[in-house]
Amino acid sequence: MKDNTNKKERFSFVGYFKDLVTAIAKGDWSVKLSMLFMGAGYTFHKQVIKGILVTIIEIAFIMMCIFYAAPNLAKFGTLGTVQFEQVLDPLTLQTTVNDYDNSFTILLNSIIALFLIVCFVFFWISNMKSVYRLQVIDNAPDSLLKKRINTFIEDINSLFSEKFHLTLLALPTLGVILMNIIPIFVMIAIAFTNYDQSHMPPNALFTWVGFANFKNILANSMTVTFGYAFKKILGWTLLWAVLATLTTFIFGVLLAMFINSRTTKWPKMWRTLFIVAIAVPQFVTLLLVRYFFGDTGIVNSICSNLGVTEFLKSVGLVSQHLNYIPFLSSEHWAKFMIVMINIWVGVPYQMLIATGVLMNIPGDQIESAKIDGANKFQTFVSITMPYVLFIQGPSLITDFVKNINNFNVIYLLTNNSFITPDQALANSNAKEVDLLVTWLFRLTNEYYNYKMASVIGIIVFIISAVFTILSFTRMIAGDREGDYQ
Amino acid sequence: MKKKGLALLMAATLAFGALVGCGGGEASPAAEDSTQAADDSAASDDSAPATNEDAVANLVAATKDTVAMAVWASEEDQEFTQGLIDSFKSQYPDVTFDITLGAKSEADAKDDVLADVEAAPDVYAFADDQINELVNGGALQEVVSTYTYDVKDENLAGSVEAATLNGKLYAYPMTADNGYFLYYDKSVFSNVDSLDSMISEADAAGKKIAMMVSNAWYNYAFFKGAGFDVSLNEDGVTNTCNWNASGATDVAQAIIDLGKTGTFIDAKEDADIVTGITDGTIAAAVSGVWNADAIKEAWGDNFAAAKLPTFTCGGKQVQMSSFSGYKMIGVNPHSKNVGWAMLLAEYLTNAENQVARFEARGLGPANTEAAASEAVQASPAIAALAEQAAYATPQRVGGNYWDPANTLGLTLISGNPDGTDLQTLLDNAVEGITAPVE
Repeated sequence: MKDNTNKKERFSFVGYFKDLVTAIAKGDWSVKLSMLFMGAGYTFHKQVIKGILVTIIEIAFIMMCIFYAAPNLAKFGTLGTVQFEQVLDPLTLQTTVNDYDNSFTILLNSIIALFLIVCFVFFWISNMKSVYRLQVIDNAPDSLLKKRINTFIEDINSLFSEKFHLTLLALPTLGVILMNIIPIFVMIAIAFTNYDQSHMPPNALFTWVGFANFKNILANSMTVTFGYAFKKILGWTLLWAVLATLTTFIFGVLLAMFINSRTTKWPKMWRTLFIVAIAVPQFVTLLLVRYFFGDTGIVNSICSNLGVTEFLKSVGLVSQHLNYIPFLSSEHWAKFMIVMINIWVGVPYQMLIATGVLMNIPGDQIESAKIDGANKFQTFVSITMPYVLFIQGPSLITDFVKNINNFNVIYLLTNNSFITPDQALANSNAKEVDLLVTWLFRLTNEYYNYKMASVIGIIVFIISAVFTILSFTRMIAGDREGDYQ
Repeated sequence: MKKKGLALLMAATLAFGALVGCGGGEASPAAEDSTQAADDSAASDDSAPATNEDAVANLVAATKDTVAMAVWASEEDQEFTQGLIDSFKSQYPDVTFDITLGAKSEADAKDDVLADVEAAPDVYAFADDQINELVNGGALQEVVSTYTYDVKDENLAGSVEAATLNGKLYAYPMTADNGYFLYYDKSVFSNVDSLDSMISEADAAGKKIAMMVSNAWYNYAFFKGAGFDVSLNEDGVTNTCNWNASGATDVAQAIIDLGKTGTFIDAKEDADIVTGITDGTIAAAVSGVWNADAIKEAWGDNFAAAKLPTFTCGGKQVQMSSFSGYKMIGVNPHSKNVGWAMLLAEYLTNAENQVARFEARGLGPANTEAAASEAVQASPAIAALAEQAAYATPQRVGGNYWDPANTLGLTLISGNPDGTDLQTLLDNAVEGITAPVE
């Protein structure tokens, strides 16, 4: 028991299988029998109830294999061959449906089955090991140090005392597996199929196509412009993520500093006003703003009454044939407005965080800087900013990843009102202002192009993951707290 | 460590979140009612040539359990549809029904129906432009036979055509008012036959004429009017399009010329048209019945509607075409009670109830008799639609039509800013429209 806990401290791949081999090699007949009848070892080493339970699990697994895994996995290679057919008898108004294959159900069930099988293999290995452990305890020479074999009640009780972490983690783990892991595996699998408008289950079948979709996203011709659109959209997605993160951060910090400044009157009122902006749901604000800045919106009529539109036309910022400012309907204007509106929507959050951070700046550093004759700007650049950056670094990275996937701002501001003038983009259902995630949404929701959407989803995932891992390991690698001081 | 995991998880959930919704159907979809159906058909074979009434009687006799059905109608139609469902139930006192009514706009019914056809409602209302995607996704039961009235005979020919795909009838026409036509201010225009004369009259009054030219649904009017076609292929997904055939550059040039007048303007959204009419800048607009109330309020007694005007194309006057639009009731073939669902769909769309729908909701009927009634003809918007119907075609295009045609419309109405050769412009658009679904 003791050397076993030592091993647990550092998991080793070789050790994991070595233990298994030892258990099989040195196990007595009942342990060896456990390889086939999993409950045997327990039953012959005084843990009968556990033996029965394990046997029930084994039987359940075998039933699962026969009635669930086998029929689904048998069709996993083709994802089904029998097309849906339904006949309505006009005389009786009754329908007959054939025993059809649903590719999506087959895919989903196969992945669940594979998952269960993998889980069972791990369960089987750990079962072998614990049965062998039992044998060791059981066969140890009688002495005062000899451990007693737990009764079933004691095992149950241990789940509420020394092994309580297992009990606590069971539900969240199950949730993560059901809600995240299995869907992600299914979506990854879909990227390798031809699941789209012409292959929609239950009425049609879809099947594996290998890497064809990944080739398409890099291909470029007038009919298949995914490659072209992908490059353009990826560029804008990254630019947008950088711009959106930096601008809201800088303006948030500045705003917090102005409000915190001793010379500002009624700081609480200002802060409250900005927080009220958060209280209004973001999508309501965005939809309203979108109408304000529409081609015939209120901002446009004010601008044209004041002559701003004519002025912008004369300096060439608005093209001659328009009699309005295309705030959200031409590429450069729209990109500019989106960043601006995002500042307006996002700054209050950053201000709140920055306020907290600013209040915690060690006063002694600022005092000594003052004594040394540093002016306000120098203090800001050399003390405040590094401190804020140090504290907020990790949250900035999360913001960056969040902005890569910032669906709301882009979609709500430009959906329907923005039409791309670029035929090549239009041919792959993309727009200049789309982020990868909004493009993905339109592909799935409006064009049922699940396979391409899955490919884009995988790419978004890789980008987000790479950025997160890289910057987190660099920013909080080691103990950087010392560096700052 | 935990935070990193969380961020990864968040990224993953965000990226895949949009997809997760599709979910899975039942694990083992088995043949439903197949044995029962076999028994019944055997039984009916014995009797003399069966009639429609026999079929309904057979169905009533064969129904032992509660008939559970889900129905979708638009938010505005809830009260009216609930009334119809209640009276439908009372027609069959021997059968226990459990019919639930959900709210879903006809305009995007397909989005939710196709997300999971097996879980979709048994009977639902949809706009006819979605018919090919719905049929393709297996979400519409073919209307092989009718029982209480003849769908093909009693409805407008256009609506039946719109409900038919590859020669098979797939839906029950409900309304015939989902197309577009011309609204105009009588005090500004004396003649609305041609766009040219309208533009000079609007110029004189200092007003604008608006149309959503950068929207594929509307700019079809120009190309189709001049005889250039876009249509759905037999696969139900891809398109055939000859908008780049010889002579099509004339249409492109015509739209560019219209845009250059400065009087004929492009509206990006419906809201732009309503705003323009309310604030008095727009005196004529191409739109549909959904804006009738707002426009009538703005123009009062000067409110008028007519068919679309002609436009000058290659020196000739060409009548603008349009997409006709109908709202339909469809039956889900994955329903457990297809028979009852079909009877309910027939009931919801029969002549009597189409008249009732017009009276209660002001929606133009698809039923020939109901549409010809005086009350319906008195509504200017619906009369204009009927006038335009002669030049309208049902909407039969695949998903790849929209984005490329939107962009083409935008490029043309903004005067082809890059100066691309018109033939190249059309070639590129056509390639996008006819692109295979990859």
